[in-house]
Amino acid sequence: MSTEVSTNLPPHPEKATLEGKNKVLGFWLFLGGEVILFGSLFATFIALRSSFGSGPASQELFSLPLTAVATFILLTSSLTSVLGIQAMHRNDLSGVLKWFGITVLFGVAFLGLEIYEFFEYVHEGHTMSSGAFGSAFYTLVGFHGAHVLGGVCWITGLIAKLPKKGLNVVTAPKIYVASLYWHFIDLVWVFIFTVVYLMGKVG
Amino acid sequence: MTAQANHSEENKSLRPQEGPKRHIITFIVSIFLTALAFFAVAYMPESPFVIPFIVLIGLVQAGFQLYVWMHLDQKGHEFPAIGIWMGVFFVTAFIIVFIYWLGGY
Repeated sequence: MSTEVSTNLPPHPEKATLEGKNKVLGFWLFLGGEVILFGSLFATFIALRSSFGSGPASQELFSLPLTAVATFILLTSSLTSVLGIQAMHRNDLSGVLKWFGITVLFGVAFLGLEIYEFFEYVHEGHTMSSGAFGSAFYTLVGFHGAHVLGGVCWITGLIAKLPKKGLNVVTAPKIYVASLYWHFIDLVWVFIFTVVYLMGKVG
Repeated sequence: MTAQANHSEENKSLRPQEGPKRHIITFIVSIFLTALAFFAVAYMPESPFVIPFIVLIGLVQAGFQLYVWMHLDQKGHEFPAIGIWMGVFFVTAFIIVFIYWLGGY
């Protein structure tokens, strides 16, 4: 690690060093594994989604407005994180902190909605053990929620360290990789709202 | 002097040519497509085309995420793209196998 870090950022600071390049490539490999993980959960859910057991049917359970708000929040957070990356490319530290801070707030709002939603569902008799639909639902959606929580903690950690460390070829790959992760979470949610909520409403 | 000017110009062209415009347009299209999917389900849940329609919208949105926001379209992303598409291939196989095996739809 060089002790003297230039204040001039190279054009693609996240890939300016071999370490940075490897970090980004390694992270894509991880995302490939995540595709398989979530894909398996989706396949399981699709196969079991009409085995309601003793719980309520998905048509009467799901509320479209709630899902729409959650979707809007997560889509917007994807935009704010990409604006954070652009601020990083402009070597604008306060911009990075601002946009990623907003991203974290959206993430927290999403988690709040999800916790409220799960709470309501349990009240209505839709639990992990009410049927195969319940088990598959909480495993899939809960796994995604855990990823959102992980992303919130990760980006909060970056924001806490950045003012001291500044933007350079060491910190840039960390920020870039965190934004890739955040976009991936949003990508998974696109399929969750389509396959779980919208298709669940159709029946 | 001229050499330096050339150098700075070169540096400028190396900078990723990006503005918020492309992302904001993608964002607006994303929101529009999402709204379309929700309306399709809210107003014509009986239609046999509604599920293929919303799944198609989902796939388009996933493409936006990968290619616009995660920059999979940029040079040097061949290996990540192979990884992701391999994943998609396996996942498609899982879904088809599970549906035929366990039922559901």
